[in-house]
Amino acid sequence: MTDLLNIEINGVRLQVKPGTMVIEAADDAGFVIPRFCYHKKLSIAANCRMCLVDVEKAAKPVPACATPVTEGMKVYTKSVKAIEAQKSVMEFLLINHPLDCPICDQGGECELQDIAMGFGKDASRFRETKRVVREKYLGPLISTDMTRCIHCTRCVRFGREIAGVMELGAPGRGEHMAIETYMESAVGSELSGNVIDLCPVGALTSKPYRYTGRPWENTAATAISPHDCVGSNLKVEVRRNQVMRVLPHENEAINEVWLADRDRYSYTGLHTADRLQQPMIKQGETWREVDWETALTYASEGMRRVIASHGAAQLGALSNPNATLEEFYLLQKLVRGLGSHNIDHRLRQLDFSDQAHAPVYPHLGQSIAALEELQAGLLIGAYPRKDQPLINHRLRKAAKRGAKISAVNTIDYDVNFTLTNTVVTHPFDMPLHLAAIAKVLAEQTGKTPPAAVQTLLAAAKVEELHRQIATQLTQAERSTVLIGTQALAQPNLAVLRNLANVIADLSNSSLGYLPEGANAAGAWLAGAVPHRTTAGRTVPAAGKSALQMLDTSCKALVLWNVEPEYDCADPATAMTALQAAEFVVALTPFVTDTMRGYADVILPISPFAETSGTFVNVEGRWQSFTASVKSLAESRPGWKVLRVLGNFFKLDGFEYLSSEEVRSEIDTLTVGIIPQTRSEVQAPSNTPQRPSLLRIGHVPIYAVDNLVRRAQPLQQSNDALQAMVAMNAHTADKLGVRHATQVRVSQAGQSVTLPLYIEASVADDCAVIPAGVVGSERLGTGYGSIDVKAV
Amino acid sequence: MSNTARFVRSLFLLELFKGLSVTLRHMLFVRKVTLQYPEEKAPISPRFRGLHALRRYPNGEERCIACKLCEVVCPALAITIESEQRADGTRRTTRYDIDLTKCIFCGYCEESCPVDSIVETHIYEYHGEQRGDLMMTKEKLLAVGDKYEAQIAAARSQDARYR
Amino acid sequence: MFAQRNKNQTKLDRITAAARAEIDRWIAKYPPERKSSAVMAALRIVQDQNGGHLSHELIEAVAEYLDMETIAVYEVATFYSMYELAPVGKYKICVCTNISCMLCGSDQIVQHLEAKLGIKLGQTRRDGKFTLKEVECLGACVNAPMLQIGNDYYEKLTPASIDKILAGLK
Repeated sequence: MTDLLNIEINGVRLQVKPGTMVIEAADDAGFVIPRFCYHKKLSIAANCRMCLVDVEKAAKPVPACATPVTEGMKVYTKSVKAIEAQKSVMEFLLINHPLDCPICDQGGECELQDIAMGFGKDASRFRETKRVVREKYLGPLISTDMTRCIHCTRCVRFGREIAGVMELGAPGRGEHMAIETYMESAVGSELSGNVIDLCPVGALTSKPYRYTGRPWENTAATAISPHDCVGSNLKVEVRRNQVMRVLPHENEAINEVWLADRDRYSYTGLHTADRLQQPMIKQGETWREVDWETALTYASEGMRRVIASHGAAQLGALSNPNATLEEFYLLQKLVRGLGSHNIDHRLRQLDFSDQAHAPVYPHLGQSIAALEELQAGLLIGAYPRKDQPLINHRLRKAAKRGAKISAVNTIDYDVNFTLTNTVVTHPFDMPLHLAAIAKVLAEQTGKTPPAAVQTLLAAAKVEELHRQIATQLTQAERSTVLIGTQALAQPNLAVLRNLANVIADLSNSSLGYLPEGANAAGAWLAGAVPHRTTAGRTVPAAGKSALQMLDTSCKALVLWNVEPEYDCADPATAMTALQAAEFVVALTPFVTDTMRGYADVILPISPFAETSGTFVNVEGRWQSFTASVKSLAESRPGWKVLRVLGNFFKLDGFEYLSSEEVRSEIDTLTVGIIPQTRSEVQAPSNTPQRPSLLRIGHVPIYAVDNLVRRAQPLQQSNDALQAMVAMNAHTADKLGVRHATQVRVSQAGQSVTLPLYIEASVADDCAVIPAGVVGSERLGTGYGSIDVKAV
Repeated sequence: MSNTARFVRSLFLLELFKGLSVTLRHMLFVRKVTLQYPEEKAPISPRFRGLHALRRYPNGEERCIACKLCEVVCPALAITIESEQRADGTRRTTRYDIDLTKCIFCGYCEESCPVDSIVETHIYEYHGEQRGDLMMTKEKLLAVGDKYEAQIAAARSQDARYR
Repeated sequence: MFAQRNKNQTKLDRITAAARAEIDRWIAKYPPERKSSAVMAALRIVQDQNGGHLSHELIEAVAEYLDMETIAVYEVATFYSMYELAPVGKYKICVCTNISCMLCGSDQIVQHLEAKLGIKLGQTRRDGKFTLKEVECLGACVNAPMLQIGNDYYEKLTPASIDKILAGLK
């Protein structure tokens, strides 16, 4: 090729693309140049000067990170001049760096320590006083020792360029410069933990891990994040059978080098006082710890009894969407083996009316990496910033490259990139806006929209906003429509899904889903839905959905890692149903008093890091992992429990010896499945009545599952929302609570007193009351009518 | 040597007497080196590596900062440390165990310690009646350190100029 | 709740209308998406408006007005010695002690000023009249030693000339 430049590094001839920096060319060719401020994912600052190299005909050594290659350039990274320059820089860097490596958490994995071994002097010539910087508070996740800072500004650039909020800065000048937040506010980004990995010294370290271990003692096991559908690759660091910390495992296709705080710190919830160690059965009113044999016998007999007296249709199983593919498969195999189709993982979903037309599994409609290449996008009921932080990161990258991304939401979420257009509207008005966009698209493209949505489109009022969104989608070569986690929980999901389909079809965009949990895709594939078995095969008569199981009170319920008061769409109904059920088997790593109240058997299953299995992420990637540590006490990996439970029922096909065997069975069953996100457009059959005040049961980032809810550091951070009511001033005026600080919220016959916040970002006639948090667990459905009165 | 000479030597047991003369010389003329242990004890070098101890600073604060260098350098894997951030914010051990049944008394732990906390004392007379007795915990090690601090400090200062 | 910067608590009203008009003139000099380029001018203007120093509220107000992160404005305000983060006296005497001035006797000048004003470098006199500040090179080396009061440079200083300057500040 002619457009490559010929350069020479240490005598080795290389051909590199114009615009490449010397350090990149050297890295690719395997020449090690020491560096601190340079990071491949961040902009170039060239302020540490550690990467000085010798370039022929250059008068002075030049920084390799900020020097583009030129034709015929000859670089020497190990010449006397280069080494002298690097040693001098090292001496300057060490002038103010404290000699506290023995107490520094970075010791052993410190870039400064490593490079000092190669380029540092054994004794300092600096006799003057060293710089000391007062500690800065950065929140519950990051601890600081700012005296150790070498001012590389990687953390500052990370905030500005990756996290999208410049929270850390470097006020002051020269020796007085110090990294800090404005007025010592806690860092609030959902990606903040990454600055720990970025910091080349021990200035920013992990607060929960502080002083507890050393990198050389830990062994790293690879794992997959159990909290969102991204499927971030993790390194779980283990010491003496204990998870010490979680770090990102680089995977350019998924999480790049980053990790969301939720994935990084959720391990802190693993060892809480309420970890269940022994199987327990309820006899009369007392709980007894028993061995597995007794517990499983008791569980299987109880379920048999209900099936015998009420029929198999009275058996139901609810699973949290973070179970592994193997667990979903075995659970549905067990339930279906017993003659019931009542199995579901869509705990927060309210609208199942068009489930028969849902795609085979919720897919992103493109690869995660492809999101970066988008030119336009439409987010429907989505807040990826907090729900899928690393998907949001890709969207942000696209937006920074000029992609026009718009959103139709019920809350004007604090998004960290510029949304070209934002529609903030009542959840039940979202179809009107989507229909308006579809109407414009139909006009623009001349295509006829499906007859099923004609009435909707006819009723839509087109505004300039809709025109702009439609134009963005049609003008872009690569565009997408994403149905967010919140839309999937809304009671008008069917109509939203249909309209999203229409918009995607008309604008020639891809259609994608951002489902809740780590393995919603796996759940659909495995058949953990009432109307389809493994690989999306339709069952003759669909079983009950998650909502129906609780609405109509199944007589026997199996709860897989579910805390209904926090995880279900309608906690009030769920609790009533569980109290009314004759037999409840709860399989869970954590036991609560509430659970002791409704369950009959509680079986300890292994949580994240203690079990092996597979997660299917939102782009359909199967990622298997092994247990990083042994299961605590008597708890056992879920697939093993189900396998043995299958044996107790004398069901066929429960003879697996490993989770890999289960996986390969699912693999054979699902061969040839193509993730098609488009579905046939249906006339919406389900139009919920609009109440005078609608609750928006927003699930905060740190309330999504039982592990995260137990991770104390996350719960102390700014993003951990408490139970409260937030509505806009207009709605508050209407209700006469404008100046109240506390309000009485009533829903489903329950009422609680919660603090009131006036938030302009909430749509009219709506009140945000977070779901999944303490304080709102007694209320009803996440999107139902509520009553708010001043106290 | 001729056969005759060899015959004469063996006949008169010359080599036997030669050997016995050494014995006799040591019995009668050479100074005795045998010690009557335990009444008498041998002098020991300040570098002697005996039972371990954890030291404190004069103000009573334990020296150990849980850097875990001794743990990682220990060739016999005899040291186990767990650490935490103490309420005052400092890095401290919550557990510091030395398994004396594993220890080979190489002294690397002492060598690696940046704060002269873990030391090997001059104590070599100790025993355990059961396995657990030879498991030195943090409390036991600190107790040894407290009891023999004067001796430990003296030995360190004697050796200081060679370190 | 969902927003980092609480929109209900705007600090924009801390900037006077006159100052705002002046800032707008500076903003107009840059492309619309580069509003933040006016940050130094804006800080100077609000500092003057506030009697010579910046408060946290003013820094926040400038950030809001220029659509910048507060920490970024704070970085600028702390970087340049011309911005004051604490109240200063009516006359801020900035003495250069950089190398040229030092070689030409700035030590003596500082000593004289300290003795005369009864305050040390970096201090403000109790009556709020004088602040004595050590600054780096102000680019008047040719006539070193020098100092700056307000917008005026005083060069080729001697103890006698300082007495005269101070006598003029009443």
